[in-house]
Amino acid sequence: MNRMEAHKLYENSVKILKENQHENGGFYASPPGTRYPFIYPRDHSIAILGAISADLMDQARLGLEFILNAQKPLGEFSQRYDIDGNDASYKDLQIDGTGLVLYTLGKYFEATGGSFFEEMADRDFVLKYWSTIRNAVEFILMNKNEEVDLIHTINSIHEYPAYEHGFEIYANSACCAGVFSAVEMGKAIGADNNELDRWKNEAEKVKNAILTRMYSPRRRSFIKCIRVKDKNSKPIAYDAFASSVIDVDAAEYAPAYFELISDHDMKTQATVKRIHRHLWDDEIGGLNRYPEHWNRNNGGYGPWCHFTCELANHFIENNAQDLAEKYLGWVVDMAHNYQLPEHISTIQRFELWVEDYTNAEILRDSKIKMIEQTRNHPKWQDGLAYITIPLIWPHAEYIRAYNNYMSKFE
Amino acid sequence: MIRLENMLPKALLTGVLKMVDLDGPEKTLKWLEGIGKDLAEIEGAGFEGARDNNILYLPICPFGGELIEFIEIYGGQPAQFKQVIEVSDNKRDNSDNPWDFPALSNILGVLHYSYVKRRAEMAGFKIFNLGCRSPMKDSDYIAYNEQAIEKVNMTKEEVDKYLEKAYCVFKIEPDNTE
Repeated sequence: MNRMEAHKLYENSVKILKENQHENGGFYASPPGTRYPFIYPRDHSIAILGAISADLMDQARLGLEFILNAQKPLGEFSQRYDIDGNDASYKDLQIDGTGLVLYTLGKYFEATGGSFFEEMADRDFVLKYWSTIRNAVEFILMNKNEEVDLIHTINSIHEYPAYEHGFEIYANSACCAGVFSAVEMGKAIGADNNELDRWKNEAEKVKNAILTRMYSPRRRSFIKCIRVKDKNSKPIAYDAFASSVIDVDAAEYAPAYFELISDHDMKTQATVKRIHRHLWDDEIGGLNRYPEHWNRNNGGYGPWCHFTCELANHFIENNAQDLAEKYLGWVVDMAHNYQLPEHISTIQRFELWVEDYTNAEILRDSKIKMIEQTRNHPKWQDGLAYITIPLIWPHAEYIRAYNNYMSKFE
Repeated sequence: MIRLENMLPKALLTGVLKMVDLDGPEKTLKWLEGIGKDLAEIEGAGFEGARDNNILYLPICPFGGELIEFIEIYGGQPAQFKQVIEVSDNKRDNSDNPWDFPALSNILGVLHYSYVKRRAEMAGFKIFNLGCRSPMKDSDYIAYNEQAIEKVNMTKEEVDKYLEKAYCVFKIEPDNTE
């Protein structure tokens, strides 16, 4: 990995993070005038985690204030918000966003204390938002199926119900970790023990279900999703969708990403091996998010910078420096003017996707605009399609991975 | 086709017919508006749909599939639906604030508008329903609220531009325009 370039990318990532936070606190998913000028709780939470890693604690706090104030009456943090915190979602439930907000708040709280947690931790902030935290936990538990102890959702990290409607691995891991974070925060502020015990008990049940029902010993991998149409189907065996999604997905790393299981655990190691085997892109490098045949790769099939950074963290944690360098170094090499795109494709794959979507009549305005921008991007001349650049999420994940790499290997 | 699993949307639409027969179109209108408002309060402040600055539009009709299927199995557009729409349109025509009414291309526009309006109010905004295109097959009917279009300083042509790619168009304005 080119250390100097890696450092410059780090510095620019921090700058991009700062520049893309609206004064109201929301981190844009992509800058105004580009494809995603809204605040998506999923992207926003990762941006806050990036800010915490870069020691931008004021920005992290402001980001949390924004999102906590935008909670909906039932306790949900929905798909996306405008800069004023008004719900602007147009997609059905994606409950991982609610888990992520709690998890991120927990990480902020932990970081404010650091080594002097008892004296320094920002308890006032948690106290101020305790009723918001409670509502979010209850919203998550409201979506838990009592038969299998898993959380139900329609969409998750890929916003793709065809493969995510049901009990999905990323949503379950995020929500489970979010409830555990709420328990820890509650303990630190002296909240009602009975309530915290109940939450902890429920979170333990979900964790156990993830580690057993969502792990396939024969495949030696976590699985993507147990498809179930209705969260209250009982018994779920009779649900109209009842089936499993066993295709490999980078999101299957989620149990370790959300610290429910160690990166050293054999379940994680075997899952990551399978992800690497099937999703590392042999032509361009980098990690794809799911198999090509799902054919929902807006802009053409290709690797994603933030999933590549996530797995880089796994290799860093496992002292696998060669693989960590391969993953993180690829991100550094692919940056354009120290900016990272959502994902990268080849012209051939891009045009194949355009053909598929044109013939099927499923291109819409935003995609037509994206096609034009991609063809006009300087990287097109190198035979590559850079889709949505910069995207804030990969910069936040890069900050986290770079800092982890530097503290482990430098 | 009716199956127990998909009965509820059809039950609501059948309920509208029964309500009109039982209590008349005016009470049915209020009943539907009340449902939209109550659901909006559960969901909270916000705007659902595609956005072009302060224009909100729906590229697909959220109720279109159910409505088309109901009318197909019913054997045609029920007269009761038309009666409710007429009551709403008459109220608009006799109101001092005609821009505060929906542009109704179908019965479920009543539910949709009251829901959207209440969610916007909770966010501190006022919403104007400029036009709606019918989701029915072989229909190019468009309902406009011309007073609303005028009130927000737009033209019908501008609204039509959105309706080329949308079923329903709203303008969002801060709630201090009165």
